[in-house]
Amino acid sequence: MPKPSAAVETTANASLARRKAVADFSVKYAIYIVFMILIVGIAIKEPTFLSLTNFRNILSMSATRIIIALGVGGILISGGTDLSAGRQVGFAAVLSASLLQFQEYARRMYPNMPDLPLWLPIVGAIAACALFGLLNGAIIAYLKVPPFIATLGSMVAVYGVTSIYFDRPPYGAQPIGGLRKDFTNLGSGFVGFNDVWSIPFIVIIAIVIAVAVWVLHNKTRFGKNIYAIGGNPEAAKVSGVPVNKNLLLVYAFAGALYGLAGTLEAARTGGATNNYGNGYELDAIAACVVGGVSTSGGIGTVPGMLVGVLIFSIINYGLTFINMNPYWQQIIKGAIIIAAVALDIRKYLAKR
Amino acid sequence: MGASDFILEMNGISKSFPGVKALDDVTIKIRPGTVHALMGENGAGKSTLMKCLFGIYIPDEGEIKLAGDRVAFQNSRQALDHGISMIHQELLPVPYRSVMENLWLGRYPIKGLGPFKLIDQKKMYDDTKRIFAELNMDLDPRIWVRNLSVSKIQSIEIAKAVSYKSKVIIMDEPTSSLTENEVAHLFGIIRRLRAEGVAIIYISHKMEEILEISDEVSIMRDGRHVGTYAAKDLTTDLIISKMVGRDLSSRFPKRENLPGDVVLKVEGLCSAETRSFRDVSFELRKGEILGIGGLVGAKRTELVESLFGLRPIESGTISLNGGIVDIGAPTEAIRRKMALLTEERRATGIVPMLSVSDNTLIANLRRYVRRIGLLDEKRGAEDVKRSIASLRVKTPTARTRIKDLSGGNQQKVLFARWLLTEPEILILDEPTRGIDVGAKYEIYSIIADLAKRGKSIIMISSEMPELLGMSDRIMVMCEGRLTGVLDGATANQEEIMRLATQFM
Amino acid sequence: MKRLLFALLIVAVLFAGCSGKAASGKPKIGAAIYKFDDTFMSYVRNSITENAKDKAEVEVVDSQNAQPTQNDQVDAFLSKKMNAIAINPVDRTAAASIIEKAKAKKTPVVFFNREPLAEDMGKWDKVYYVGAKAEQSGTMQGQIVVDYWKANAAADKNKDGKIQYIMLKGEPGHQDAELRTQFSIKAVTDAGIAVDKLAEDTAMWDRPKAFDKMKAYLAAYKDKIEVVFCNNDDMALGAIEALKAEGYFAGKKQIVVVGVDATAPALQALEEGTLLGTVLNDAKNQGKATFDLAYALAKGEDVAKAGWEITDGKYVWVPYQMVTKDNYKNFK
Repeated sequence: MPKPSAAVETTANASLARRKAVADFSVKYAIYIVFMILIVGIAIKEPTFLSLTNFRNILSMSATRIIIALGVGGILISGGTDLSAGRQVGFAAVLSASLLQFQEYARRMYPNMPDLPLWLPIVGAIAACALFGLLNGAIIAYLKVPPFIATLGSMVAVYGVTSIYFDRPPYGAQPIGGLRKDFTNLGSGFVGFNDVWSIPFIVIIAIVIAVAVWVLHNKTRFGKNIYAIGGNPEAAKVSGVPVNKNLLLVYAFAGALYGLAGTLEAARTGGATNNYGNGYELDAIAACVVGGVSTSGGIGTVPGMLVGVLIFSIINYGLTFINMNPYWQQIIKGAIIIAAVALDIRKYLAKR
Repeated sequence: MGASDFILEMNGISKSFPGVKALDDVTIKIRPGTVHALMGENGAGKSTLMKCLFGIYIPDEGEIKLAGDRVAFQNSRQALDHGISMIHQELLPVPYRSVMENLWLGRYPIKGLGPFKLIDQKKMYDDTKRIFAELNMDLDPRIWVRNLSVSKIQSIEIAKAVSYKSKVIIMDEPTSSLTENEVAHLFGIIRRLRAEGVAIIYISHKMEEILEISDEVSIMRDGRHVGTYAAKDLTTDLIISKMVGRDLSSRFPKRENLPGDVVLKVEGLCSAETRSFRDVSFELRKGEILGIGGLVGAKRTELVESLFGLRPIESGTISLNGGIVDIGAPTEAIRRKMALLTEERRATGIVPMLSVSDNTLIANLRRYVRRIGLLDEKRGAEDVKRSIASLRVKTPTARTRIKDLSGGNQQKVLFARWLLTEPEILILDEPTRGIDVGAKYEIYSIIADLAKRGKSIIMISSEMPELLGMSDRIMVMCEGRLTGVLDGATANQEEIMRLATQFM
Repeated sequence: MKRLLFALLIVAVLFAGCSGKAASGKPKIGAAIYKFDDTFMSYVRNSITENAKDKAEVEVVDSQNAQPTQNDQVDAFLSKKMNAIAINPVDRTAAASIIEKAKAKKTPVVFFNREPLAEDMGKWDKVYYVGAKAEQSGTMQGQIVVDYWKANAAADKNKDGKIQYIMLKGEPGHQDAELRTQFSIKAVTDAGIAVDKLAEDTAMWDRPKAFDKMKAYLAAYKDKIEVVFCNNDDMALGAIEALKAEGYFAGKKQIVVVGVDATAPALQALEEGTLLGTVLNDAKNQGKATFDLAYALAKGEDVAKAGWEITDGKYVWVPYQMVTKDNYKNFK
């Protein structure tokens, strides 16, 4: 519809449109922008931050967190939440470590046990946590307990189970040390030339798991189903999606991931106590949320979760690297959680 | 015409969003003491116009005058304070609070001195009582809102509007979930308000209601104001042609289906829930459209959801193709080639944040599972593309989030979802609710075509013309019981109404 | 209804497994530990229960790191008419109210491991304290480093005569963390060695956190680091694990790491030569002293004859012990 003032209007519209495009872009890629600002900020303070060693260190300290976040992320997408993640990690760490101490170590939990094949305790820890997850899922799906409450309960209970296992004869409560070389190697070994030009095993494991979870979420019926359940459980039910079965699966699968993460955490740090994993669930939830996963379900991507975890790793590592006051680190972390979500949520808000 | 003739004037309002001009030079003027209907298809710009009035959007051009004074509200609270209220289509009361607390929410009467302020419960109660009396409403101000019907909650909203001494009250689809009696009661309240000089802007799709209640009708199409007419000069067909911009030879497509053998037989079905349907028996034939009529609360939805395994059954049998079946869950129903398009599209139909594609495939994923559990995305994409084309779903891409589509297109996606499961029996619960006139016709065509291809259809509808225009037979329910089955070709509205109110 | 029965059943089964003990003629002592998952306190706890065997009935409870919980537990002890109570306070300033309560019921109190304020200790004569002097652990840790530094010239990597160090602290504000940090460095400087602090950060007593922090420091300071002071062994072991991953302790690449607590994995690390030294906060003797005092008080006997040296009429100081490669076998 041509009007007399068309020319003026076009210019005005163009500048408006440009400003809008910039705004849209920054909203859409908010987390990535936050991510870049952080790196640039740290690098300005300490230029040596941009090194391969640091990159490698950040990846390896992210590895177990990524695995945990992928588990929690799936649950958040299904419309649930999991507060028991950290304690399950702790259980897996204690269980696997207790079964993989070397023979000569003075205070073995099982003084007379022969060396087990490496895979057995790992699979055992994964299976045990999958079972915890299954229990969570059953409580949520069949007893209809809200996920927050159900997993709050299991968080407390799993810690109890871990502590009972941990604190018993012959030596009572004491950190589990003296882990077998082949086990700790899983956490500290790498593929490549030397400790710089190489990829740590745990990073490879995390990447494989991330790819697998991405496929699971995007290419399988189970994945489509959990997005639908999280997005609208009633619609999913009417559409013939077996909601309860899928809930059981999503919690059990997450449990298995926590189990794996727990064993890797023990292997990486060369020991375990019953307090391992404490608070990891909140770190994982925060990372997912910063990575654009909605806590009300139905929204979230694997790349988003990875970026969320990396943001926190960079904060933890980078701010330590530049020797920032630990209290300030806390403040920055908190601010980033809120800012990232506040920006991210704009994608879904109606525009004025 | 002097300014004082109108209580509210919206002059030359325009509003653009990126890529679309939602309002283009719209001028609508409202007289005090009248009911002014605002009509138009979904997307015609009615709600954008109302949002401009309430300051939710800021118009690009144009001015709004209230009682001759120019106004520009920043938010709905300012509009309320100036005497403009809106009764929303979806009511959002605070469920576990009393009627009066909902009514005075955010502006409770206060008593007390200095910092020691308390809520004046007695004044709140008395004021509420007084307003209810004015509106001839009989409701205890102290009971919980949670226990009230939609109609009662709506009347609380109206009472709230009155409490603000509103001069203009906007009602958006106020009758969409009301029974016939409740509509009558609502109209009583509207007439009372009109008599007191209040102007009502009445937004609705229901022609019969509009013609009954309104004085003037403004029609919008594609963001423009088509015209304002005196209601007495209009007919249903005239309104539709102005809304759609073309003459509709008929509101319903020609049906060419031929009912065959019985495919579904229901005998003595009783719900396991309290105060639900009981002792319902009926048959459905191949290629037949069986309408189910009745008032809201006749337990029609409960009946079809029980057939689909969503609700428990106490006694009675369901036979498919001669064999008795036990359907305990939707998965089982889908396996037996049944499909259910639910009444509440938002609540139990679409998954809003997922794409059109995912929404289309969700009920049918098992067909696309290949070796090692991965989905055959190519075949899925092809099926989605074909469905979008054949049902003429208007969507930018298959990856667009379904929440960004109009109601009619969302409903078509839900049809596509169920058609991919290749059902023999389709149960449609209010398939055209909240859908604009143009899209309705398309939905009717889809239904007629399915029946012609030998699918059996059960269609619940609260709109009499739809029931009469589309059904081979009409089964009417009242208070959970079957009160009669009529032949679609010979039935009339009075007969359906008589059966629907038999136990009242 | 079914669900309710199910829940009741679970509860019933759970409780069947943990029924109470029968009463006997032995004196009853109630002990509250600030939290059970503190490794050190669990050693003290084990020591208390071992020493109590055949002598007294000791009820040990977990205060879950919450002072209100502990206060409730103290009330419960008093109403059960315990003959004495042994309290490991969550918050040392809360001792005042515990003393008031105990005094009202004439039940003697032994505080242990976290020292109440002196003015609170003076409120009643039947109040005792068993613990170690926290600064001693720091001093001894510093002493280990000083001894090694003086004997091994190679420890001074850049030959500047100063110690470049990293400090991994426990929970900020925690008395042990603050005192160990302060006194370990003081011991070094008192011995005439200058220090150069590269970084100091909290790893919250936690092994994985220490691991990640150490990784960052190694990347930031590379070979400049000469000594890593850790407020406890768990953090020392985390740091060691990170150092190992960077090729330390294999061959020539050495570094000094010291901790506190002498936990079993730390002794293992001493044997392997990764940890230079640690300081034993003598849990066994703290537990024994706590029990012995409480037992004497419960029976109304003279505390002075319980076998411990009592300072200022109220305090039993259990000394720390230095643990290094030379003597670690004695602590296994």
